[in-house]
Amino acid sequence: MTAESLTLLLVAAPGAAFVILGMLWLLGVGLSERLLANLTKALYLLLALVACALFWQMWRGGLTTVRVSAGDWFSVARYHFPLALLIDRLSLPLVGVTVVLAGVVGAFSVRYLHRDPGFFRFFLLQYLFTFGALLVFTADSLDLLLCGWELVGITSVLLIGFFQNRPDPVRNAQRVFGIYRIADLGLLLAVFLAHHWFHTASWHGFFSGEWPGHVNQLDGAAASVVAVLLVFAASGKSAQGPFCGWLVRAMEGPTPSSAVFYGAISVHAGAYLLLRIEPLLHASWVATSLVIFIGLTTASLGTLVHRTCADAKTSLAYAAQTQLGLIFAEIGFGWTTFAVVHLVSHAVLRTLQFLRSPSMLRDYHRVHAAAGGQIDPTGEQYDSLLPKSVQVALYRMALGRGFYDAILDRFIVLPAIALARLLGVFESHPERRSPPAAEPTAPPPSVSAIP
Amino acid sequence: MSLLAAPYLSLGIGALLAGAVSSLFAARPRPLAAGAALAAFTSFALAAREVAVAGHERLFDPLCSCFEADALDAVPMAFFAALTLLVILLAPRRDAGGKSMAGLLLLAAATQTAYGAANLGVLAVGWWLTGLPFALRLFGEDRSRRSVLIILCLSSLALTASIFLMHGVEMQEIAHASRLSFGLVVLAVALRKGLFPLHGWMVRQFDHGPLLPVALLFNGHLGALLVARSEAVALTQAEQHTLDLLGIAALATALITSIRSFAESRPRRLLGLLCLSQASFILAGIATANAEGVAGALLHWLVVAAASTGLIAIVRVLEVRVSGTAAPDGHLGLAVKAPRLATFFLICGLALVGLPGTLGYCAEDLIFHGALENHPWLGLALPVATAFNAINLLRIYSLLFLGVLPKRVIDIPDALPRERWPLAACVVFLLAGGLMPGRILEWRRMAAEEATLVPGDGETGHGHRVPN
Repeated sequence: MTAESLTLLLVAAPGAAFVILGMLWLLGVGLSERLLANLTKALYLLLALVACALFWQMWRGGLTTVRVSAGDWFSVARYHFPLALLIDRLSLPLVGVTVVLAGVVGAFSVRYLHRDPGFFRFFLLQYLFTFGALLVFTADSLDLLLCGWELVGITSVLLIGFFQNRPDPVRNAQRVFGIYRIADLGLLLAVFLAHHWFHTASWHGFFSGEWPGHVNQLDGAAASVVAVLLVFAASGKSAQGPFCGWLVRAMEGPTPSSAVFYGAISVHAGAYLLLRIEPLLHASWVATSLVIFIGLTTASLGTLVHRTCADAKTSLAYAAQTQLGLIFAEIGFGWTTFAVVHLVSHAVLRTLQFLRSPSMLRDYHRVHAAAGGQIDPTGEQYDSLLPKSVQVALYRMALGRGFYDAILDRFIVLPAIALARLLGVFESHPERRSPPAAEPTAPPPSVSAIP
Repeated sequence: MSLLAAPYLSLGIGALLAGAVSSLFAARPRPLAAGAALAAFTSFALAAREVAVAGHERLFDPLCSCFEADALDAVPMAFFAALTLLVILLAPRRDAGGKSMAGLLLLAAATQTAYGAANLGVLAVGWWLTGLPFALRLFGEDRSRRSVLIILCLSSLALTASIFLMHGVEMQEIAHASRLSFGLVVLAVALRKGLFPLHGWMVRQFDHGPLLPVALLFNGHLGALLVARSEAVALTQAEQHTLDLLGIAALATALITSIRSFAESRPRRLLGLLCLSQASFILAGIATANAEGVAGALLHWLVVAAASTGLIAIVRVLEVRVSGTAAPDGHLGLAVKAPRLATFFLICGLALVGLPGTLGYCAEDLIFHGALENHPWLGLALPVATAFNAINLLRIYSLLFLGVLPKRVIDIPDALPRERWPLAACVVFLLAGGLMPGRILEWRRMAAEEATLVPGDGETGHGHRVPN
């Protein structure tokens, strides 16, 4: 098979699995756990083999970029939405990480979610997520990247609310979705403004040459605006800067999904986007400074809060946020190759840590016992060198998690709700005068009415 | 004057009317009503097929020349007939009485009359008749009935007055209408579509009205049809400005209703605001008058119709199962008992707000490009509205399906086979259409070309409007 057909197969396979299994379930066809587990293992094995074959093909060709065009998704008059994929030195490692880590997490989840009522739902969402992530990493245009980006977002939210009969996951899923949507607006606007100003949103329209030596072709204030909007979107996906609060809320999902989304793949999509648009980023000092500032401040806050977290997953979430902040800063400083290595190794390590987190205490006790009870904390940290008053202030800030939620509620959520209430003057509110009535044809309430 | 091969339009409308009358007296009205809706669907689908072959030609009904089918109305007619069938099949047993079924069919017949009108007089008749089932109390008595009747009457009055102000009643002569008469047309559209600040009646109708008839009334999109018809003729400068204002009002409606939803927590009201906001995209797209915007709007018309009908029907089905969906103390947690209904709801909703991979995404993508081309800054309101609408969709989904199941809900069935198949058809349309939108865009291509064609420039086939 050629590299082009391998790329298409790699991206399309999880999407097809999602659609087919989803429609079968909707029409009432049930699948056993064993069958679904085998299907999952077979699918990820296939994807891993395809990824290896793709790597081999590219290696033989000198690691040159492979571009695949599957025609137009749709077109009207002069506007076309091209279905174009690319595999280059940047997307290949990320595709490999996605396939391998999603497969590992899939195999882990078979036992972890055994007899869970949401077993089938989890795997369906994982297929959709894999499809979305592969689309993000192989898209040859911002348009197609946006598609994958949104699929990753919605599957992430549905998995945060996986335990749907508990109030907290549901509340947190809603909150995360709200933040995602606001951040995604940056990407959406960047795509449309790029079309409007530059008449293109494809990577080869933005840059000439191959990654990492590609050269920016856009200039002017318009390019700066697009770059800043993309930084905004990337920050949202990677829980950086103004969007740093959602990652800890996302820990409400099952541990395997936390591993694959917030340890391995999803949170790194933002960093990937920045790596992809790096020349555009560096053409604008505003965007570059923003990336460095966001990265460093988030890393500082993350490492601070991480030290005060009492549970394993929250602690890991802030640790991941810290490392992502550093990756952002590396990209801002132009250390591209280092950032890629950091990104891949961080994804692998964090996945392992997340998957081990349910048995972390047991591991610790075992190691402690094996060492004869000699492992004790030293109490020596660099932060103890700071003046006491600064230590206390930082500790309070860390305990309040940077007061992020309070600030968000006070300055964004509450004013938005107040505005929404104000707009209600254009509608009548009969319910204020009397309780709402049921639909006229409804008979008296019954507990388990059969329609 | 070219004719259809058979009187499909008369037959379709006749079948709906006959079904309405016989449902009133039938012991089991649902099969009868479904049969009538199926017959109407077949007729309109055959008419649409002929129109697709005929191209840009208007095909008149051989039995009654006051009906015609063309590129703009043929597909919506067939689609609306399918929606009618869907609503009839999905109606819970308690909503499937003789009067309700007759009301639904009468509403469908009136809407189809307006779609198939060959002149403005017949269009006005259809427009007036849509209020008839409410006036006859076929859906029962409720506190929103009076407001819907008043608005429908005002809207019809505005349209009728506008027609009287014109010299002729032929569609092509709308261009010669005075500024006042065009203003009245715009007022009729704004009232009918529930554009800001006249949207309150539609929200109230969703909140307190009978949901399934609301689905049909809302998805008639007669206002959008009228605006698209106006686009297809040469408008004066002043009329184009008025149309621009209408587009801006639609953009404002999309944004304001999406913000307004944040203060709501009742599923019906939230759903109403969501549907209203997304439906405003249709007018905003048509008012752009460029190829992308109009094609996107005509595509979005179908998306809104299919997705919102699915959502409304599911909410009604759940209401019947759990005796009301208003849960002021929190969530209903119905996904545990009805996971398939939850999934259908989510897919329809995500398609409505334009999740990639669904038909809604393609439609919105085109509308955004069109809107941005016309109003670079105002056009940015649409992506913002979509983002807010997606948040509100998840809020409705959470309210209905997530959280702790209330103790009063002991056992409810998931989607019954009677509900599963129509909803699956809806979902397949939205997903398969999203994967292969070219086919559905092709259905609407000719209509979009007609709407963006500069009259007198017909030979180019895809001209753009004269700039203001």
